[in-house]
Amino acid sequence: MTHAVADHPVLDPTVAPPFPVAALPVLRNPQLRKNVAHAMDVIQAKRARLVEEKADWQALRSAGAAIRDHVLENLGAYLEQFEERCTAAGGVVHWAADAAGARRIVLEILRAEKAAEVIKIKSMTTAEIQLNPYLEAAGVGVFETDLAEIILQLGREEPSHIVVPALHVNRSQVREIFARSMGIRDLSDNPQALTAAARNYLRRKFLTVPTAISGANFLIAESGGVAVVESEGNGRMCLTLPRTMITVAGIEKVLPRYQDLEVMLQVLARSATGERMNPYTSLWTGVTPGDGPQRFHVILLDNGRSQILGRKTERQTLRCIRCAACMNACPVYRQTGGHAYGSVYPGPIGAILTPQLMQMHHAQSLPYASSLCGACYEVCPVKINIPEVLIELRAQVTDQERRQVRRFFDPMYLGMRMAGLLLSRAWLFHAAQRMGRLGLRFFTGKDGWIHSLPGMGAQWTQTRDLRGMPGETFHEWWTKHKKEAR
Amino acid sequence: MRASLFITCYNDTLFPETGRAVVTLLERLGVGLEFRPQQTCCGQMHANTGFRTEAFSQARRFVRMYQDAETVVIPSSSCVAMIRDQYPGLFEELGDETLRRQLAALVLRVHELSEFLIDVLGVEDVGAYFPHRVTYHASCHGLRSLHLADRPARLLAKVRGIDLVPLPNLDRCCGFGGTFSVKNGEVSSAMLAVKLQDVASTCAEFCTALDNSCLMHLGGAMHRQYAGMRTIHMAEILASTESAPAEALK
Amino acid sequence: MNAAASPRQQALERIRAATRNPAASVEPAGSYASLRRDYIGHGALPAESRIALMLERLREYDAEVTECPPEALPATIAAQLLASGRHAFVAPAGLPQEWLAPQFAWKVDRDLPAAEIEQAEGVVTTCFCAIADSGTIVLHHSASEGRRVLSLLPDWHLCILRASQVVETLPEYFSLCKQPPRLVTWISGPSATADIEMTRIKGVHGPRFLHVILVRDPVADPTSNLQPDQAR
Repeated sequence: MTHAVADHPVLDPTVAPPFPVAALPVLRNPQLRKNVAHAMDVIQAKRARLVEEKADWQALRSAGAAIRDHVLENLGAYLEQFEERCTAAGGVVHWAADAAGARRIVLEILRAEKAAEVIKIKSMTTAEIQLNPYLEAAGVGVFETDLAEIILQLGREEPSHIVVPALHVNRSQVREIFARSMGIRDLSDNPQALTAAARNYLRRKFLTVPTAISGANFLIAESGGVAVVESEGNGRMCLTLPRTMITVAGIEKVLPRYQDLEVMLQVLARSATGERMNPYTSLWTGVTPGDGPQRFHVILLDNGRSQILGRKTERQTLRCIRCAACMNACPVYRQTGGHAYGSVYPGPIGAILTPQLMQMHHAQSLPYASSLCGACYEVCPVKINIPEVLIELRAQVTDQERRQVRRFFDPMYLGMRMAGLLLSRAWLFHAAQRMGRLGLRFFTGKDGWIHSLPGMGAQWTQTRDLRGMPGETFHEWWTKHKKEAR
Repeated sequence: MRASLFITCYNDTLFPETGRAVVTLLERLGVGLEFRPQQTCCGQMHANTGFRTEAFSQARRFVRMYQDAETVVIPSSSCVAMIRDQYPGLFEELGDETLRRQLAALVLRVHELSEFLIDVLGVEDVGAYFPHRVTYHASCHGLRSLHLADRPARLLAKVRGIDLVPLPNLDRCCGFGGTFSVKNGEVSSAMLAVKLQDVASTCAEFCTALDNSCLMHLGGAMHRQYAGMRTIHMAEILASTESAPAEALK
Repeated sequence: MNAAASPRQQALERIRAATRNPAASVEPAGSYASLRRDYIGHGALPAESRIALMLERLREYDAEVTECPPEALPATIAAQLLASGRHAFVAPAGLPQEWLAPQFAWKVDRDLPAAEIEQAEGVVTTCFCAIADSGTIVLHHSASEGRRVLSLLPDWHLCILRASQVVETLPEYFSLCKQPPRLVTWISGPSATADIEMTRIKGVHGPRFLHVILVRDPVADPTSNLQPDQAR
């Protein structure tokens, strides 16, 4: 089968190709698959070692899930409390119903600040609302400051992971990107040298650009505080040097109290990077005279989240703390990498989050991008039962599609409806078994195996044989067996 | 001890030798087996593909059929996982209180084969003889949903003559995933290729599991690639004796 | 939904409809208090092992560690400054005067511009406490811990940690905070990245060198004698 394959990965779910098609470029690139597998192996091994040493790991997971559920149940009250305390501490709180609304608010603030340039801390939420292209189109120079994000921005690459987004780019590609865009002639491909190049490139930006944009890992309702978790120190730079800070945060990011960080900080770094604690975590509250930005804005973004909140099984999606443990553990992600998911959120969490953020109008192939092996649920630090949500979303996609006229003769739908009927009565099932035995005889080779099937069956036989149907079913044997016994 | 055998639709159709082995094994251990010929399917394929209406009716059928059974034994871990993990939600959505109550009473008496042997019968040594090099593949449902843990290993360790080789990356999926294997055929095959490398590295003659669905997937690739190894359901190893070796050896 | 309502009202209405929880600004304290927390609160290590663990973690992060008795602190600071091969340092306004050894060039931070802080080769600060389990140093940015920018721009950070400030677990730290602090920085080793081929590289934007002087003051029960530095 041939598919049209886009040259450049598309991470906009409204136009991205379906997962099985979008996965092909990586499946056909053994080097890239190797890179992804290597990165996953490194993180997984580190995580496993640290989780092993943590005697109370399961208790931490349970507490993490309980705290997040409690927040979601009382989200309205906690958001209002956060707003009140943050405002009292000198922050300005904005509310955005959708991506366009949030982008507009950011631009209005930048215009009021007369900001021609902004520096950014890596943020999934600003990627979700596609903020950078919007600001660039409006004439604002956007500078990502996380090393991986710089690589992607300068190399015009798309992120393929939420914690290590440039894992698909190797050192020689990074060298090329940096040499070209930073104008360095003799740059080695040693990661140490490349990191130093990025440090020098950004140092002046940190000291001179007066406006910064961040996401938030956690919002603290009781104090109005905001926490950002990072490794490199670019976050600390953005949080202390500029005059103005704009934080874009999903409405689900709230925690009731400061103390709740004792659970989240213990599980987050272990799950994300396999460290006991990430090198730097910063928390700030509104503005503090003499220390850091003196103007602070928080934009609370809904963008589909309140809809997810209203659904029983799906609500747990909003517990997510964006650690990426699910994609690191996922055997599907391991083969396809992140671009196949057609969204800034790849992997198992992306497979449930993206279609829901799209209110099930796009990305309908994503709930099927899983073998339901459950590795994601097993590692999730806030116990999101991702397979359960995947199955729920599959039911929604099926309910949506099976009413469409053009799906009536779709082999999958036809087959599943037929199977449903045949399995509803034993005599029909048994008749179908006999028919199948006759029918499959045409396809069964002398060795008793089927090597090639037409239609949907070809999806199986293109890489696998299928043993031919035995001459006797079990229930036929049982009937005989019992007669003989008598 | 009496038990009712739910063979599952695909074992009935494609792997009757597994069913025969379960009968041989359990009768040898003194279990009085019955088989209800009206049985068809647990509904897993429909549920996992999103066809909830069809899954409802199969789940209802299962619960009604077995509510009076003393014990139900199922030689397929994913089907047991379906009953335990998904039936409650299906019945809740259906709003059927009677079915929910019937399921709650029944589900405690539904056992996967290795659970039945170890937890219910309390045996580890089932008197089997299988002088071959074998590696055990843990199906995802057995591993993460049923938490079979070391039960399969304990049973296999007591098989006389067996040469057990551990499978690297035991907790990694083989890529079957039901309709995933055709809806995402290429990705599924890529996962399978990785798994097959691990299986081949054991130099085992047989790869065994408690789920014929994974084995159908692995076995199909082994046959395609002339891998020189075969798959066999664990029931067939456990049923095998010196006087009556497994059918696969004939 | 009221079309004329503000985005804020609309958002809260959507959320309340979704949670079927009409509670307005009510603190849902009751259900919060009953959340299960079965994880380890207080650690069980004796004091000496707790401190040994902290030192082990710091060394794992490639932080340099020097130990000294309380009375030898000023001399130890001077010796470490000298050993660092650096000369120009910045200090928070609240740092004890006797720690600023006169043979070095000091700038004391009274709203120093960032560019001047950046010129410094190193910085000396105290900390609020340290967490042995993860090897974390916590700054609340009091007068002797300094403004956030101070411990960020210089390439070398010398942090003074007293043995009595070391707790074992993260929850122990939180139990020390009667009020949520306004500014916090948790530091667990020098700045690092693994963004290129998962190769860990030390020193991206934050200080590349973290040096800790552990002051061996008397230590008793896990946290009871902890005296955080004076409030900002």
